[in-house]
Amino acid sequence: MERPLAIIVEDDPDLSTVFAEAVQAAGFASETIYNGTAALKRLEGTAPRLLVLDLHLPGVTGDRILDFVNEQPHLAGVQVIVASADDRSAQALYGKASLVLLKPISFIQLRDLAGRFITNEG
Amino acid sequence: MTVFWQQLITVPTTDPDDSRRRSLLNIVLFTFATLAVIGIVLLLLRTRVLTGASSEELFAFYGYVIFLVLAAGLYFVNRNWSGTVASLTLVMLLSVLLAFVDDPREIADGRSLVVFAIPVVLASVLLPAYLSFIVAAVCSVVITVVALSLPNVSPNTFAMVVYFAIAVVSWLSGRGLEQALREVRGLNNELEKRVQDRTRDLREALFREQTEARKNHTILQSIADGVIVFDELGRASVANPAVNGLLERPESRILGATIDQLMDTVAAENQVEVKELFSPTAVQSVPLNVEWGGRTLSLSVAPLQAGQAGVGGTVAVFRDVTREAEVSRMKSIIVAMVSHELRTPLNAVQGLAEVLQQGVYGRLADKQQVTIDRIIINTKRLMSLVRDLLDQAQIEAGTLKIESVLFSPSELVDAVREVVGGLAKDKGLQFLVTIDEALPSTLVGDPQRLGQILINLTNNAIKFTETGSVSIRLYQFDLVHWAMEVADTGPGIPISAEAYIYDAFRQIDSSGSRRHGGIGLGLSIVKRLVTVMEGDIKLSSRLGRGSTFTVLLPLVHPGPHLLT
Repeated sequence: MERPLAIIVEDDPDLSTVFAEAVQAAGFASETIYNGTAALKRLEGTAPRLLVLDLHLPGVTGDRILDFVNEQPHLAGVQVIVASADDRSAQALYGKASLVLLKPISFIQLRDLAGRFITNEG
Repeated sequence: MTVFWQQLITVPTTDPDDSRRRSLLNIVLFTFATLAVIGIVLLLLRTRVLTGASSEELFAFYGYVIFLVLAAGLYFVNRNWSGTVASLTLVMLLSVLLAFVDDPREIADGRSLVVFAIPVVLASVLLPAYLSFIVAAVCSVVITVVALSLPNVSPNTFAMVVYFAIAVVSWLSGRGLEQALREVRGLNNELEKRVQDRTRDLREALFREQTEARKNHTILQSIADGVIVFDELGRASVANPAVNGLLERPESRILGATIDQLMDTVAAENQVEVKELFSPTAVQSVPLNVEWGGRTLSLSVAPLQAGQAGVGGTVAVFRDVTREAEVSRMKSIIVAMVSHELRTPLNAVQGLAEVLQQGVYGRLADKQQVTIDRIIINTKRLMSLVRDLLDQAQIEAGTLKIESVLFSPSELVDAVREVVGGLAKDKGLQFLVTIDEALPSTLVGDPQRLGQILINLTNNAIKFTETGSVSIRLYQFDLVHWAMEVADTGPGIPISAEAYIYDAFRQIDSSGSRRHGGIGLGLSIVKRLVTVMEGDIKLSSRLGRGSTFTVLLPLVHPGPHLLT
């Protein structure tokens, strides 16, 4: 069976490695994008099962990408896990995303949380 | 006319008694002179200007003239030289005159004795008491000698006794008058002195008050803080120059205005806060920072004490804190940036270590596993230090926000156990977690911050306890509070330290910092978080036995708005 796709949008290469390993360990196929503009472009044509989204991104910021995901009908089924270092901007996003995680985000934490979405189709 | 008469009569001297007697003498002399003039005029009319005057009438005429000249002479002496001499001369002249007018027999038989009373009475009025006594005594002696020395005449003893009585009474009344006047003058002087003292006191008080008022006015005019005094009706009655600049409006547009009218450049939501500060029931005593036009102003409001100066109302002090507010904003931004920049690589270190630990890249040898575990524990410690610093910065900047959401106490302690359980195990300590059954299974609060409180307290407990146990207990404290308790079997905290254990960057034994790690922010943050949550923290400790921290928190019943 083909693994569902998880897109990681995170500009820090080390952290994106950790996130990628975590979603893979949870059973996803992962793809990493390092800036906002590229992420928007990719999401125009693809609807992943899971989107792990950093807020502080070069180019288009994370909350604009989140708005885009919430607006586009073809992205309605995407589960979004927001990863933020700033708890004040994170608080503003509760309700817009499936999960809002405050950095530091551990490998184990993300693996276990992502695992919840592997079987959940909605 | 009266003034001229006064000038004619009074003799200015320093002794008020002497002055009074000399004035009286002048009046007597003027009376005598007037009588003499009347006598002369009558004589001239009756004798057709002396053409048909008898020798007796001529004698009387010269008598009157001499009398007039004597009166003028005595007046001159009285005015320019001595009142006593003039008076004494007049009295003696009168006595001699009277003695010669009557036959000595008439004196002896008492007929003209009464006439002798005239000089004695005059002496008592015109002379000092001792001299009037001498005059009375001399006259008495003369009369006695005359009366007893005449042959064939039996002296009228009764008339003599009456005369002596008149002399004594005259002398006594003169003396009494003198004494009474002296007392009155004494009283007058005392009164005058009192009036002077009182006047001086009043003048000094007035001067002090004026100085004080001037000083206050100068202070008000020169301080950099803006001051407006509002009267009982809420209208500005006093405004200093500084406030014109701060509110960017001239004094004329401040005086008489209400606080509402002054707030046209303040955002609506801030206006509400300002108005609350002015309401009579306001309890806030800390200044309020308000964006006012282009400035940030710190505003404090205090009621004027009615009754003290008889005025009510309020005084508002405006301080320009634009720069401080800017610095504080910058500080917050910098701290947020730095903490973000620190967290990201730390997060990467922790995450990558966990990737290895979890065997994603293959099973690790035992020593590798232990090493990776150590890396993860130390990274977590570093991470919690960064979080503490950020929290402290947020607390100082007043930007710390507390959530109010539903959470489960058991999930809360599970999360705590995950972080600190390993540390306790490493030190060989027993780690116990209890949740009382009576505690509701769902509570309202900020689970992340509550977890932070528990982690900080438990971390401390583990840090300072070498043997025994560390335990966490959650329970319902009373009807309106629930409690989190962290107890250890460590060295205990001395009572003397209780006062400062919640201070930032402080540990009881500063030499212990190195051994125990940490920078002394844990309890300070706990205390602040508990305060922001409207809770309370208590410590009970026994040296050598251990410490127990109890955090009391308000029990909020979950309303429907929280059930999302």
